[in-house]
Amino acid sequence: MNLPAGDVAALLPIGILMLGGLVLLMTEVFLTSGRRGYQAGLTVTVAALAAIAAVAVPPAGRIFGGQAVVDAFSIFVTVTVCGGLALSALVGAPWLHARGAERGEFYALLLFAACGMCLLGSAADLLVAFIGIEVMSLSTYALAAWMRRGRKPAEAAFKYFLLGAFSSALFIYGAALVYGATGSTLFSSIGRASGPLLTTGLGLVGAGLAFKIAAVPFHLWTPDVYEGAPTPVTAFMAAGVKTAAFAVLTRLLVVVFAAAGLGSGTFVKVVAVLALLTMLFGNLLALPQRSVKRMLAYSSIAHAGYLLVGIVSAGAAGAREGALSSVLFYLAAYTATVIGAFAVVGALERRAAPGEEPSDAWDLTRLAGLARRRPGLAFAMAVFMISLAGVPPSAGFIAKLLVFKAAISAQAYGLAVVGVLTSALGAYYYLRVVVYMYMRAPEAGDEPVLSPALTVALTASALTVVVLGVGPESVAALARAASTMAP
Amino acid sequence: MNLLTLVVFLPLAGAIAASFFPAAERGQHRALALVVSLATFLLSLGLWFGFSSASGAPEFQFEVNVPWIRTLGIGYHVGLDGVALLLVMLTTALTPIVVLSAWNAVQERVKEFMISMLVLETAMIGTFAALDLVLFYVFWEGVLIPMYLLIGIWGSDNRLYATVKFFLYTFVASVLMLVAIIYVGGQAGGTFDYVQIRQSLHVSGSAQRWLFLAFAVAFAVKVPMFPFHTWLPDAHTEAPTAGSVILAGVLLKMGTFGFFRYAMPLFPEAALHYRSAIAALALVGIVYGALMCFVQKDMKRLVAYSSVSHLGFVMLGLMALTAEGLTGGVYQMLNHGVSTGALFLMVGILYERRHTRLISEYGGIARQVPWIAATFVIVTLSSIGLPGTNGFVGEFLILSGTWVGRLARAPWFSAVAATGVILGAVYMLVLVERVFFGPMNNPKNAKLPDLSLREWVVLAPLLILIGVMGLVPQPFLDPAKPAVDRLLARFAAAEQRLREQDPARPPTTGSQPPGFAATGAQSPALAGRD
Repeated sequence: MNLPAGDVAALLPIGILMLGGLVLLMTEVFLTSGRRGYQAGLTVTVAALAAIAAVAVPPAGRIFGGQAVVDAFSIFVTVTVCGGLALSALVGAPWLHARGAERGEFYALLLFAACGMCLLGSAADLLVAFIGIEVMSLSTYALAAWMRRGRKPAEAAFKYFLLGAFSSALFIYGAALVYGATGSTLFSSIGRASGPLLTTGLGLVGAGLAFKIAAVPFHLWTPDVYEGAPTPVTAFMAAGVKTAAFAVLTRLLVVVFAAAGLGSGTFVKVVAVLALLTMLFGNLLALPQRSVKRMLAYSSIAHAGYLLVGIVSAGAAGAREGALSSVLFYLAAYTATVIGAFAVVGALERRAAPGEEPSDAWDLTRLAGLARRRPGLAFAMAVFMISLAGVPPSAGFIAKLLVFKAAISAQAYGLAVVGVLTSALGAYYYLRVVVYMYMRAPEAGDEPVLSPALTVALTASALTVVVLGVGPESVAALARAASTMAP
Repeated sequence: MNLLTLVVFLPLAGAIAASFFPAAERGQHRALALVVSLATFLLSLGLWFGFSSASGAPEFQFEVNVPWIRTLGIGYHVGLDGVALLLVMLTTALTPIVVLSAWNAVQERVKEFMISMLVLETAMIGTFAALDLVLFYVFWEGVLIPMYLLIGIWGSDNRLYATVKFFLYTFVASVLMLVAIIYVGGQAGGTFDYVQIRQSLHVSGSAQRWLFLAFAVAFAVKVPMFPFHTWLPDAHTEAPTAGSVILAGVLLKMGTFGFFRYAMPLFPEAALHYRSAIAALALVGIVYGALMCFVQKDMKRLVAYSSVSHLGFVMLGLMALTAEGLTGGVYQMLNHGVSTGALFLMVGILYERRHTRLISEYGGIARQVPWIAATFVIVTLSSIGLPGTNGFVGEFLILSGTWVGRLARAPWFSAVAATGVILGAVYMLVLVERVFFGPMNNPKNAKLPDLSLREWVVLAPLLILIGVMGLVPQPFLDPAKPAVDRLLARFAAAEQRLREQDPARPPTTGSQPPGFAATGAQSPALAGRD
């Protein structure tokens, strides 16, 4: 198969990210450990270049015989992933530096994972999607094991790897069944066939993706992995992996929902049940958590539930555009918010002596009295918590508004009501963080790890959250434009 | 620049400016907050004098309507009708008073306190000014965070419990309103503009009832109506004085205002359907709140329960759906803001001296602090509605409006509510008696200082308002008249629609025919109205 030059050029952002990763790997060989401060900066530059390239190169539409698509949707996903990548790199630098674990491979792996994520945004074929998932996942497995000497990180990495491999197997097996039923792995071929083989195949593919987005009941790995992985990696996983997995799931399900042969609305109902369970259990399980990191892990499950509500709404033809744009806006808002929140958690995390694993490394008491010790840090965290809770004026509120608006115009009233009620439940545990920061006396403890890079990341994400909450028009319009996928 | 927009956002601008001052400069923060809130009040006087209550004047004045989030049909649409104007004035007048009252009481984290106060003011004014449902919701929820901080940081011992309870109650109730708002926006063709929605909204009977309930529960929690009131005593008791004054003075009015502006005019048929039930709950609130006052040991808790009772009057007046009842309800909103605000200030003044709010710790202090006693008595008389004070005008209008209204068994409602007035007089006078008169048994009270100059400045405006609003109510009733008339016309139209479906339906809105009205005397204040 010869590669048309235009099709390759359309994947320029992915190429830039890949090149950046390779450059980092090469320079790593020649540098002594003292000169590694530039890596985060290089990663941010590469991410910015990739995002610019994504916007600058005109969308090519279907490429490689329809196996991938470069349209406004994929561009939106690419820019969101690159934003998440840049923020995570900035958060990662001081965290790794404080632990003496700063090496170029970390950033290279981040960049490679981002390649997979961007590819997932464009994938319109089950095999391309599989390649994207594997490129993304293999990098994140390695990243999760970055601090491999501890018991928790090792457990987290191993669990993530095992369950990730399992979900990949489900996905590829499902893809095989779909190929058996339709004779093709293109998403667009799904509409042309019907029957139990196709339904089973799609079910398995869906289950594989449900693992990645951490939908209940496929969420069991999430709390342990999110807690055990290095905090900057958790931030990147919560933002990037979620964005990418939702992008491919959205593109797939839009086709599936429209396919006449699959029984009217069966898949919509299945996703609706998943959404319901995910919202309910994500929020309920987050309630009793004392570890902020674990609470954020469950909260990320809950947010997957709200995103699924957006996807369900896309099942109603009249509400599709609003639903898809709500999912995109939500992903952008969540990326900024969750990376910011994990950044604060990472800065406050108790640094263990070698061989020691304190169980209270992320306990709520770490935040006690933060408003007096570090007013800026506390304010930023409060902004993130308010956004996660969906209280106006914040990005999280507008995102929820869009999702529930889509649900109501799709006449999914039950989902909308459960959604707002569970988000009220969420307000309780997000506010508990604010209570600790603003209303409790400080406790003696080591100082938070702050650095210019972290300040930049926190400022950028807090500003994004506020700007998206007060003046969401431009991003909402972009998301709206991106919701009309290329045919 | 639009004057109303300036009034809404000037406090926020002040808060942003304050955030650049170092936290150690506490005096600067106090002064800045006072200057900004006074400037806001002075600007809002422009609204007061610029507002036209003439019959031909536009319904909403000082209007601005620019798109905010175009893709969603959300606009920055603000404007004031007479009722909103009165409540905005109440807000801008109370805020500088509250800032001044917290001058010495708040010694810790002054910067954060003043910033919260100013942000709160913007959110409150915005709630009353908004003419877009989502914008309204944003301001409505925006009130929660600063209030949550005010109670949680500067409150007393059990503040964390109280503040979380306050936040969760209000938030849970409001999110259902958000669903209803989104639904209404969809039904109205993708716009959230209040004026357009009110014109074009057509929803079926059952949907309308659900929507009304979603709005009504959010507002009822805020009012608070029995049985949604349980957060209020905790929040009031634990809040700092400034928080209590704002909570009682303005925040509770957001609930009654919500009924008046949103729940009732948007869904008149449903409002008619649930009207008796709401009026009955209001009645329960009146009596229950009053009875609870008798057993309170804590002065603040007592005043909090009296708020439940007073707000019950407001709701009863609104549900009477007569000109007198609605006008009285609106007037009583202002009265409650003034008198209960003043009561909380008085309790705060005592608390600053003795650091206790227990009634039993006081007794016979009138001799020691005659001026505190005198002002307390005046405020009490206003609160129990003595003729000549503002409270009388409101309660009288509500009771007579309910009496002549067409609520089923209206005279009974009026009669039972009147017992609330009597009970109110009893518990308030008992409170005055136990705190200020009788023998002074507690030696700790022997050296209490009387009102300072600053405290005089804090209380004087409220005392003046009590007298002025009691003797010359007309300037405060006039702005409300067009809004009340429009609401009544809307209900008359809704009734007409209902009668087309069911010709046998008896009339339920407006006053009884003139023959009956002889028993319900017209208030002198309303003599020139019709």
